[in-house]
Amino acid sequence: MEEIKDTFLHPVVPLDFQNNYRVGAYLQRYLDGFREKKILGAKCSQCGRVVVPPRKYCGACNLVMEEFVELPQEGTLENFTVGHVTLEKGQLNRADAPYVIGMVRLEGASNSLLAKLDVAPADVKTGMKVKAVWKDQVEGEYTDLDCFQPA
Amino acid sequence: MDRKVAIAGFRMAAAPDLETTRERLVFELSKGLLDDLGIDRDAVDNFVLCSNDFLDGRTISHVFLGPPAGGYMKDQTKVEMDGLNAFIYASMGIISGQYDVTMVLAMSLTGSQVSPYLYFDYSLDPTYDRQLKLLNELSAAALEARSYLAANGYPEELLDAVAVQNLKNAAANPGQARRIEGVSREKVKGSPYYYEPLRELHCYPPTDGGCAMLLVSERKAEELTDKPVWLLGMGRSTDIYFIGDRDLSTSLSAAQAAQRAYAMAGIKDPAAELGFAEISSPFAHQEPLLAESMGLLEKGKAAAAYEAGDTAVDGGMPLNPSGGPLGGNPLCAAGLIRVAEAARQLRGEAGENQVKKADKALVHGQDGLCAQQSAVVILGT
Repeated sequence: MEEIKDTFLHPVVPLDFQNNYRVGAYLQRYLDGFREKKILGAKCSQCGRVVVPPRKYCGACNLVMEEFVELPQEGTLENFTVGHVTLEKGQLNRADAPYVIGMVRLEGASNSLLAKLDVAPADVKTGMKVKAVWKDQVEGEYTDLDCFQPA
Repeated sequence: MDRKVAIAGFRMAAAPDLETTRERLVFELSKGLLDDLGIDRDAVDNFVLCSNDFLDGRTISHVFLGPPAGGYMKDQTKVEMDGLNAFIYASMGIISGQYDVTMVLAMSLTGSQVSPYLYFDYSLDPTYDRQLKLLNELSAAALEARSYLAANGYPEELLDAVAVQNLKNAAANPGQARRIEGVSREKVKGSPYYYEPLRELHCYPPTDGGCAMLLVSERKAEELTDKPVWLLGMGRSTDIYFIGDRDLSTSLSAAQAAQRAYAMAGIKDPAAELGFAEISSPFAHQEPLLAESMGLLEKGKAAAAYEAGDTAVDGGMPLNPSGGPLGGNPLCAAGLIRVAEAARQLRGEAGENQVKKADKALVHGQDGLCAQQSAVVILGT
């Protein structure tokens, strides 16, 4: 049979789904806290674990967590990676400059918060103390908590 | 198990770009397998397909893939997870006594996709991680890699050793998609960083591919194959979603899934009893991490094991003698291809990569960020 050259057809999608997600009561409290530059977590009344951002259920105890606690704005950098690429809509591109993403364990928290780190890639170290940096103008959005930097 | 399950045959395909349509790939895998076994689709009473609507670009993707697989007017279901879950699900139908012959077929064309990494973005929590835009498949893997290296005091060079071993095995396996001639540690180290400590050659290549496999009851196995590969045990486990809640230096899901599979297969000392393992490790650090978590390598001794060649094809515990996911990792098909590669070894058909002790093997599959979900099966001759 004669070789047939396939044509690539780009997707023609007549539907454009716009998904709206309600954040729910717990992330709403978290974002409301941002308006006052506060970081809130949820505490389990049974095991005492504090998770940030707050969520309704303690997975370990399978219980509703009813207590909100304010966490300090300082913590320890538990883990990090220096990014040399960006993934925008699933496409891999080289980053303009290396950047640092870290996992921060706030004092008193039982889990780690993923955050941008404002630190030179050469200076970043596991175990370093870091503190939260807020935007000047806070609006109750995730981006209010701009990044963490060395304390 | 009340009823035994055997692998009667399989067909695989993988390449950076298979230059085919989804339907043609599925037809050729399925029809090719039926031809290998000298049967037609009338002999198959159940079809389990494994694809993903996001990767396929159509909802309920098996609507289009069932017919070319030969599954029309048959019992047909779809698993939208890794192919090892489809394998387990298909096996359950035979163990239960409902079916005797089941075709499992998993595929995706991720290599020729314009945005191969978008799939994992859709797995992120839409109200949190997707909004923060920090977490993706690669950054999560990098955090896991550093956590694993740091917790065990391993040097970054362990990643190079794992990658070189896998890429060498892949180069000797004609079925693999990424086959690099003359791969060396220098070459791996010379590849650019994605997210530190992971470099390009520490990470899987987006791959087109698929795998069709025929699972049969004991009675049918006698009719269809001289070299049955038996399912001896299986287990699964799903960890919590949030990576900030997990200890990324180990894999609880793999440990639990493996323990369940070992219990079912009656395995007490996996490192001694198993001949080799095919592990779904799309990132270099995951092979030793998962192997340690599943008791195949001693905890904290992985770097020494790779240096000593214990994990090579001719070592005491060969890991991914096929070359593993670093040689090709078509999403959905990935875990089923690991099964097929293990079956090839157990049938003594692995050519240059044939391991010596090919009587019992472990196969691992995963879904989610940092192997949130693990599936493990034990196969034997």
